[in-house]
Parts: sequence; C-alpha cells; structure tokens
Amino acid sequence: MMRCDEQSTGIEVRGVRKEFSVDGRLVVALDGLDLAVRPNEFTVVVGPSGCGKTTLLYLVAGFDSPTSGRVLAYSSDVTGPGRDRGVVFQDLALFPWRTVLGNIAFGLEMQGLARERAREAARQYVDLVGLQGFENAYPNTLSGGMKQRVALARTLACEPDVLLMDEPFGALDVQTRHLMQEELVHIWEAKRKTVIFVTHSVSEAVYLGDTVYVLTARPGRVKGIVDVNLPRPRDARDDRVLDKRGEVMALLESEVRKTFAFGDVERDSQDS
Amino acid sequence: MRTSSQPFTRTLRFLYPLVVVVALWQLVVSLGVVDSSVMPAPAQIAARTAALLYVQPVLLLYLGVSLYRVAAGFALGSVVGVALGVLMGAGTTPRAALKPVLDFLIAVPTICWVPLLLVTIGMGDATIIIAVFLGCVFPVAYTSMNGVRSVPGDVVLAARAMGAGRAAILRYVLVPGALPSIITGLRLAVGYSWRALVGAEMLAAAASGIGYMIYAARAFYDVNAMFVGLAVISIAGLTMDYVVLGAAERRTVQRWGMVSGT
Repeated sequence: MMRCDEQSTGIEVRGVRKEFSVDGRLVVALDGLDLAVRPNEFTVVVGPSGCGKTTLLYLVAGFDSPTSGRVLAYSSDVTGPGRDRGVVFQDLALFPWRTVLGNIAFGLEMQGLARERAREAARQYVDLVGLQGFENAYPNTLSGGMKQRVALARTLACEPDVLLMDEPFGALDVQTRHLMQEELVHIWEAKRKTVIFVTHSVSEAVYLGDTVYVLTARPGRVKGIVDVNLPRPRDARDDRVLDKRGEVMALLESEVRKTFAFGDVERDSQDS
Repeated sequence: MRTSSQPFTRTLRFLYPLVVVVALWQLVVSLGVVDSSVMPAPAQIAARTAALLYVQPVLLLYLGVSLYRVAAGFALGSVVGVALGVLMGAGTTPRAALKPVLDFLIAVPTICWVPLLLVTIGMGDATIIIAVFLGCVFPVAYTSMNGVRSVPGDVVLAARAMGAGRAAILRYVLVPGALPSIITGLRLAVGYSWRALVGAEMLAAAASGIGYMIYAARAFYDVNAMFVGLAVISIAGLTMDYVVLGAAERRTVQRWGMVSGT
C-alpha cells in the first residue's frame, strides 16, 4: 500500500455501525463511530468492557466488515486482512508448534520467502525485541513478557505500516508491563508505525498515546478525544501526565459506571 | 529436567504390578485353587509359547500376517480418517454433509461389517484389512475434526493477518493445531484396529493370523494357545501405541506444551 503525505490519514473509520446476532438477539457493538489516525501517530483506544474495542480493531484489521459505514487504510477501503496492517492479539495467538524463530518467520514464509531465507531475515527481529539465545525455544517454555516479545516481533517482521494491538500487555505483571511499554515506545520511535492500541488501563493509555480515544459503553461510539501531546519518555509522576490521566478518567468514569450497572466488572480498572 | 534414567524407571514402574499379578496367578494355579485346564498357569503359557515358536513354528508367521493386516488397515484408516476429519473441521459444508453420516456409522460395532464383507468380498486379507480400516477410520475422523475445531480463532486470524491463504492455514495452522487430538485419536485407533483384526480373523481368515490361531485352538481344547494369542495381541498393541505413537506424542505436542506429559 502506498504511503501518502503527512496531511492524509493513515486509518479512517467513518460512521461505522457493527451489529452481531447473539443467540438470535441483535447486539449493536459499535454505532456511529468515527476515528482518524494520522500516519505514524500512536493512537490509544480506551473504553469500558464490552464497548466494542476489539470489534473496532478487527474491522480495521479486515477480519470482519462493518454493517454500515466505512473503514479506510491509507485512503483505500479495507476489504480484508492485509500485510499493511499487522495485529498483536490479546492472548498473543502464538503458534505453539513453532519455535521463536519459526513464529517470527511465519509472515515472511507466507510472503513466499524460502524457509531458510525467511528465518535468516527473521533474526533481525529477534534482535530487535532482545530474544537472542531463545531462537529455538518453543513458546511454552517462555515467560509472559518473552511471549509478548515474540508476538510483537512476529507482527513487525511482516513490516506493516499499521500496528493494531489488542490489550497486548493485559496479562503481564506490573513491572514487565512497564518494561514492555517502554520497549514498544522505543520500537515505535525507531520504526515509525501507525498504531492503534486498545487498552483498559488509563495510565497505559496516557503513557503510550499521542491521542487517546475514549469510547462509550455499548454500543461503542466516541465519547471524547484527549490529545496527550507530551514529550517522551513520559514520567508517571509528571503533573502534565496526571492532568491528562484525569481528563481520560473523567470521560471514562460515567461510562464504566453504566457498564458496571449491567453487571460487567472492569478487569483491571484498579490499575488505572 | 528429564534424566536419562527416567524411561527405565518408568518401564519398571509399569512392569512391577504386572509381575505381581503373574506371580499371584502362578501361585493360585499351582496350589490348585483354579483348574489349570480352564486357567492355565503362566508357566504353561510360556511353555506353549516356546512350542509355538520352535516345535510347530507358526507363532511368528501368524504374528507377521496379523501385523501386516493391522498395519495396512490402520494406515489406510488413519490417512482417510485424518483427511476426512480435517476437512470436516475446516469446512462448514463438509461438516454439515458428513457429520450425521459419521455419527451414524461410529455407533456401528466394527464386527457387524464382517458378514457383509464376507458376502461381497469373501474370506481373506482384503476383508480383514477393510474391517480394520472401518474400525479406525470413524474415530480418527471424529477426533481430528474436533481437533481442528479446537484451534483458537485468534491463531487462525493471526495467520490470516500475516498473509496466509486457505491452503496455508490448513497446512501450517489447523493441522499442527489439531495434532494433540489427532494423536489421541490414532492411539485410540490402535486399540480399535486390534479388536477389529481379531474379530475379523476369527470369521474371515482362511488359515493364518493370531485371531485365527485363538479361534482354531477351541477345536483342540488348546486353552494355552488361546492365552498365548491373547498375550501376543496385548504386547503388540501396547508396543504400537507406546513405542510408535507415544514417541511421536512426546516429540511433538508434549514438547510444545500443548498436552501435559503422562
């Protein structure tokens, strides 16, 4: 896909509605959702449980199509998955039957590279995420943070323009999570990708994002946009960071309450 | 970490209860608690085994014939079963079309097919091999289908996002993802194969095979030979399961952490 100039949009979601049929009942996951991400911008999407964050990500990934509205990637309609858009999944979705190197080389093999050449090319991504020495390990022998690195490297190896990340650090302990956030920022600064990062955590959102979209409770639409616009690396104790967190929290709070009233419990809202 | 002594310890732990049972068995028969013409002692069975190996040397021949039949039927059943199962697991249309047929056929005891095969094909290897095939193809198809369906949706989506097409997803994601279930199915099928083999050999073998040997022994009240046949089948089945498929399982899905070790 062609890179356009900085003025144009990277990802654009226009008036998207998405319905599902669950046990014959109509569920509206997203309704009238608009989102615009500039090329190389780091956008974070937060919202209460079940607000359709993952649905939104899957629409951009092209796994599913909207009931109405449009999803565009670099000014072309998204009609299916494409190598221009890489996905990091919530539960990582690694291939347990492939080694670290085999996992990372998968996308390159799918591009038609011979197995050995793909593995050779995958080595630089092993280095990028600091997994040297673990090339031949199987994922089940790795810690959570290392599995996370494999998932990230596997996606980056396809050299996508856009990185779609679905709560990738949700299962990590606090320290590992913070390390991964730092590393992600480094990699993003080095590789300049357009990122949409979905999370529950307000602190994570403000630490990572240029822009934070807050979604409403289901059906999800945009409740508000917080322009973080602070220099990196960001310090959690910085007043400006705390202010931005407050802004996001204020937008989120009433929505979380709505969800809570329906019986859904926020998984890691205490982490915000 | 696994140490080199572990397989040895494991074998010992496996054999130990068997040795105890055999010793007790010998004791009970030697003391005259049980009539040795109905329940021969291990020593008698061992003597009969030796006779069948050296005096009228048919045991190895029969074992060879039976192994050929069971291997042919099992191989055929496994290949067709895995192919059918993967197809049914991956495609909604094949599943909708074949699942009811499979549900129906899986309920039919394999031995029921043998009279039909005798009428259409007649006595001999073909009938026995087809019986073995029928004994394993359905359970293998069933477990393979469930295996493919158990592959997490996200893993398939991840492959799609990285540019994998339908054929690549089948080959690189669904089949390896289904491997724990496929291997379980094959291990079950080893047992089913031997059951089908022995039943079919009793009805359809002209003059060879372990099943034939057991069945023919009734004419001579040769209970010892029946027990020899029983022991041979058990050991052959166990070897096929543990040595071949067990090793395959340990080298693949257990190593990948997809199933826990046994």
